[in-house]
Amino acid sequence: MFSGLRDRLQAARNKLSESIGAVAEKAQPKPTVDSVKTSDAEPVMAKNPTLADKVRVLFIERELVVSEKDVSGALGDLEMTLLESDVALPVADALVTDIRTGLVGKHRKIGESVDTLVVKALKSSLLKVLGSGFDLPAYIKTHERPVKILFTGVNGTGKTTTVAKIGAYLKKQGFSVVIGAGDTYRAGAIEQISVHADRLGIKVIEHQTGADPSAVLFDTVQYALAHKIDVVLADTAGRFHTKANLMSQLEKIRRVMKPDLIIYVDEAVAGNDAVVRAAEFDRTIGADAIVLTKADMDSRGGAAISIAHTIGKPLLFLGTGQSYEDIVPFEPGAMVEELLGGGPV
Amino acid sequence: MMDTLSASLKDALKKLAGKAVVDRAAVDELVKNLQRALLSADVNVKLVMDLSKAIRTRSLDEELPKNTNVREHVLRIVYQELVRLVFATADLKLEPQVILMAGLQGSGKTTTTAKIARYFQKKGMKVGVICADTFRPGAYDQLSTLCAKINVPCFGDPTTTDARKIVREGLVAIKDLEVIIVDTQGRHALEPDLIQEIIDLNVITKASHRWLVIDAALGQQASEQARRFHEAIGIDGVIITKMDGTAKGGGAMSAVAETKSGIVFIGAGETIEDLERFDANGFISRLLGMGDLQALAEKVQEAQASTEIDMDAMMKGHFTLRDMYKQLEALNKMGPLKQIMNMLPMGNMQLPEGVYDVTSTKMVRYRILMDSMTPQELDDPSIISSSRMQRIARGAGGTPEEVRELIKYYKMMHKTLKGLRGAAGGKFNMQRLMKRFSGMQ
Repeated sequence: MFSGLRDRLQAARNKLSESIGAVAEKAQPKPTVDSVKTSDAEPVMAKNPTLADKVRVLFIERELVVSEKDVSGALGDLEMTLLESDVALPVADALVTDIRTGLVGKHRKIGESVDTLVVKALKSSLLKVLGSGFDLPAYIKTHERPVKILFTGVNGTGKTTTVAKIGAYLKKQGFSVVIGAGDTYRAGAIEQISVHADRLGIKVIEHQTGADPSAVLFDTVQYALAHKIDVVLADTAGRFHTKANLMSQLEKIRRVMKPDLIIYVDEAVAGNDAVVRAAEFDRTIGADAIVLTKADMDSRGGAAISIAHTIGKPLLFLGTGQSYEDIVPFEPGAMVEELLGGGPV
Repeated sequence: MMDTLSASLKDALKKLAGKAVVDRAAVDELVKNLQRALLSADVNVKLVMDLSKAIRTRSLDEELPKNTNVREHVLRIVYQELVRLVFATADLKLEPQVILMAGLQGSGKTTTTAKIARYFQKKGMKVGVICADTFRPGAYDQLSTLCAKINVPCFGDPTTTDARKIVREGLVAIKDLEVIIVDTQGRHALEPDLIQEIIDLNVITKASHRWLVIDAALGQQASEQARRFHEAIGIDGVIITKMDGTAKGGGAMSAVAETKSGIVFIGAGETIEDLERFDANGFISRLLGMGDLQALAEKVQEAQASTEIDMDAMMKGHFTLRDMYKQLEALNKMGPLKQIMNMLPMGNMQLPEGVYDVTSTKMVRYRILMDSMTPQELDDPSIISSSRMQRIARGAGGTPEEVRELIKYYKMMHKTLKGLRGAAGGKFNMQRLMKRFSGMQ
């Protein structure tokens, strides 16, 4: 998973290191003539490190200053890399800018490897974006039961499958679970969730197709209260953020069942639109955490970066296949480590 | 986000307006903005680079066509290059056929299957559907519920897990039907077992079409997935789903480029009727977030065409109502008369402002009147007698006076053109021309 993105990022990392390294080599053999000149040019202080600065640190402080020019080529490549990995355009822009400010003007000590400097900048930028992750079992343990979790998202991202997977995951962790079949619109949706739940031995509360989803989910919560169930998983019909009436239906669901967590489900293969719709869902209904499905389809995983950057919410799980075990809790530190390979942060 | 993109695209185009020669810097800026717009619409990065290179080279190298300005010239190239990518319309015949649906999980295959069944049903074909999705729970329920709504037979067996067997049995069970659509389980290119399954299904069904269903929101992954599906079963058409959201469908564009096929349908809504045939112009407008591309591109072409007609007619000394109709039609598409006058080879005549408006409303009337004429009358206006005038007027909901006025206008145009011919040698009799035009008011 994400091996594609990892390869690309490592290529970008090497390129960055090379271009900075090349500058360092060029700068080093320059004789003292420059340092004489520098004293005259001293008053001209631009935003970029001037030659004077460079030479001074090189010869006096034995350091190198990275200038914008040194890295612009490699950063351009990095941006293309991010775009090819489905990181949305505005997010890619923001990331590259962040990395640039992280690099430019940095004093590199002669002893320190260029690589370390680059990896440091990349890692801190990515970690900033990906946030700190979300520990669901810990959350459930520390909150009043039943913990009510509402799943939202556009059509076909895999909400129903995710509900089943999370149900299986929580059951394995020792929690009791009930599922509310809140997708009363799509033909076959109730059958789909019932079959999943049967296989997993989880109780499903369902009404017939066309019923009010708020009522179904209200009943589910009542059932959980009466039977002292730990977790309520509320499935809903997929809807587009552009459909005002469906979004207000979702708002009604939120009003009626008062969820503790709203989980926004989207797919790892989504492109730029991931940003638009995630922002819109966050704005209208809110989102506390994200589940990214179909991560096995794609080795790029840029949508994870895009969505996390846009709504600034932690990623909870990654869906990585068709069976119930194919769900991985998301750990940003580990992911960044995997993406960029070794090297201290 | 998209709005600011299309705004900067428009700005870049504006900079090209009014330039006499193609300006390298301005073209570069336009190409850069275009790249950003396409990338945000999820078009494949490599495709975008190739496309922008082609646009840049053509804009700088091609000679500026007569009577167009730089902006229109460049815009037309942009439009043509984009259309070239998506315009290969996949053929869709109303004949007995088997259609195999393929696509990633959650792209909307089942919903689209029902929509296509409805499409063929409305065209009067006998349609049947086979549900070969044996994996996802509720898949058969979903498809059979949708099919029951439109009275289309749906073959399936939720108790078996062998898709090949179901399809074999299904093909026998509904062999009397003309169009058979086989819905399959969602799969992606990295699942070898499932890819083998769809290869087998393709062999078993001897499918006449293998359509790939692509979610409009699919990103850079689209090219890769389309390529693998194409290698496996030879995709000959792409269907874009979920176009009712905000996604631009650039991924589908990459898929089309990868499979060298065309876009068959666009799904934009949750009801069974929400299926449209593909319209390249609408698609590109949406992709770039600007609506006037086609109109502008056409305007240039029409302008060129209409001047050709003029010249032809003048040379032959032969000008019928038909030619006039064509002119008026071109005029109608191009907008205000004032612009046309600038494009005609007569140079910029300074006519009083009011003249244009009155004339253009009249022109619309004239067109309607001419729509009520027979071909003979259009070819030879001299046969229009008063009884014919009565008939034309009645057909167009007007009065015989209007028809008379039209004939008068035609005669005047005819004379004017003759006058131009008389002044051949490059010297147009401007004064006379102006007098005639203003005399009409």
